[in-house]
Amino acid sequence: MMFRFRQPSVLPGFGLTLGFTLGYLGLIVLIPLAMAFTQAFHLSWDQFWHTVTAPRVLASYRLTFGAAFLAAVINTGFGFIIAWVLVRYPFPGKRLVDALVDLPFALPTAVAGITLAAIYSSNGWIGHALKPLGIKIAFTPLGVIVALVFISLPFVVRTVQPVLEDLEAEVEEAAASLGADRWQIFWRVIFPAVRPALLTGFTLAFARAIGEYGSVIFIAGNLPMISEITPLLIVSKLEQYDYSGAAAVSVVMLVISFMLLLVINLLQRWSRIRNGWEAVT
Amino acid sequence: MSIEIQGLHKRFGHFVALDGIDLTIPAGQLVALLGPSGCGKTTLLRIIAGLEMADCGQILFNGEDASRRQVQDRQVGFVFQHYALFQHMSVFENVAFGLRVRPRARRPSDAQIRDKVHALLELVQLSWVANRYPSQLSGGQRQRIALARALAVEPQVLLLDEPFGALDTKVRKELRRWLRRLHDDLHITSVFVTHDQEEALEVADQIVVMNRGHIEQVGSPQEVYDAPATPFVYQFLGNINLFHSRVHAGWVKVGGLRVQVPEHDAAEHAPAMAYVRPHDIDVLREPEDGDTTLAATISRVSSLGSLVRLELIQAPSGEIAEVEMTRERYAADPLQVGDLVFVKPRQLRVFLYNDPKVESPMHWSGDGDGI
Repeated sequence: MMFRFRQPSVLPGFGLTLGFTLGYLGLIVLIPLAMAFTQAFHLSWDQFWHTVTAPRVLASYRLTFGAAFLAAVINTGFGFIIAWVLVRYPFPGKRLVDALVDLPFALPTAVAGITLAAIYSSNGWIGHALKPLGIKIAFTPLGVIVALVFISLPFVVRTVQPVLEDLEAEVEEAAASLGADRWQIFWRVIFPAVRPALLTGFTLAFARAIGEYGSVIFIAGNLPMISEITPLLIVSKLEQYDYSGAAAVSVVMLVISFMLLLVINLLQRWSRIRNGWEAVT
Repeated sequence: MSIEIQGLHKRFGHFVALDGIDLTIPAGQLVALLGPSGCGKTTLLRIIAGLEMADCGQILFNGEDASRRQVQDRQVGFVFQHYALFQHMSVFENVAFGLRVRPRARRPSDAQIRDKVHALLELVQLSWVANRYPSQLSGGQRQRIALARALAVEPQVLLLDEPFGALDTKVRKELRRWLRRLHDDLHITSVFVTHDQEEALEVADQIVVMNRGHIEQVGSPQEVYDAPATPFVYQFLGNINLFHSRVHAGWVKVGGLRVQVPEHDAAEHAPAMAYVRPHDIDVLREPEDGDTTLAATISRVSSLGSLVRLELIQAPSGEIAEVEMTRERYAADPLQVGDLVFVKPRQLRVFLYNDPKVESPMHWSGDGDGI
């Protein structure tokens, strides 16, 4: 089959907009990222490998990606519930709650970090209450997860909400008339319809959490090997004028993030095709 | 399964959707709920299905009270106007859904489900789309799949909410004939909602004409068309000509026309409405003796396929009347615009204004689709 680059369309301007898109992406995204690569390759291969596989660095990858993943999973569950409640039930103050969801978007992350650290530290409200149970949140990996959950909350809610709103009540009624109980209606009818949006929300939350810096450093305590995230490691390398080392770690993080997002996107596409949302091409 | 409805009331806020519905639907019949939009027909259907709960009143299935049963336990198949298919499932899985969600003890094996689904797809003549998704089907195909899905659970009652309302005219006509044949094969008690009088007349065994939350008339298509119980039914089923008139001692007088109406013997100078269907009027070139015709002028001639419709202006009153005749009849004497003619109603139905069945005509003149 011949690959057709340009489809005839009623709206002109394909060349212009594609050119603009590529130019813009290049300027804003690709060139700065490429700089990280060039900076990193000031190192020899051995130096590079040594830098990016140092135990302290490896521990930080684990924490960054692990905590981001867990935070995204947690938000997928709770974000779905919040979206569900906001869509399905009328209650007083609904608009307020709806607006509250976006707050983590708007708040400077440092403010979030300081607030969270204050509340979850052993003399803060929540930290104090949890202390007798032997649970420490601030200055531990748990604290990192809490901060990431906070800042990535809106993504799942905002992607799932419109899909839930568009679900026809009739489809649920049809399922009920066919004998499905509530669980079955939820799992077999509602959930599959929402799944692609849920996966998108998860991806966005995950991506956001991987890159988070401001809120985490306040609550994490930044203990090497325990609660130190990769972005912080990069910053501390920069502070020691180790530009190449910082770039090397950045490159690794970049590559891992890109691979993960690519895999998730492929997964999503596969799930859409399997569910008939898109024709197989 | 027979359905009995007793004293059903339903309000939505201040809007009275159903106002005392009593109705019996005998087993094995195909019944149409017919009425203008907002008359409560869909609400009634949804209450029968259990998708809506009545404020008071009872629904009996085979003589047993089903009013408090959940929709899952009512054994009804419901078909929606906009299909309500599961978009993320293939056609096969859509039809299999009702079987797959059964409790394990009553769930058929995979092989049984496969056979059953294929038999149903065969029945709706769509076995070749089993692996497609609903978005890849046309509207008519989707509705047939929705019907197959509803039939899969072997419902005792089939309820269809404007099943052909979203389809174009040609597909709609095909599908309603097909539904009629299907019903003749399966004999499952079926109720369908429609606002299309032609559809109801063509398909149903019984027509329930509804208006503003109550039932106007129940009867076979012929009964409701030929002997409408109320002016509303008269207006709603088919086109009509309305003549304002007076009834005195068994005679109705419309302009210079006098017709005997023995059923209104007792009325004296009572204001009345006389209804005549457009195809129940003869058009003559010459007046007849004895006040049996009305003078009129032809103002418009339009050809509607097999029929020719004439628009006439009545000489004294200036009111417009419509006459329909067959093509052949028109060809035998092609009347032209401006011709002076004499109309003679073959059949005329008179309702007195003070009859309790007669509401003020202002209410229903606007919302009938058949006018």
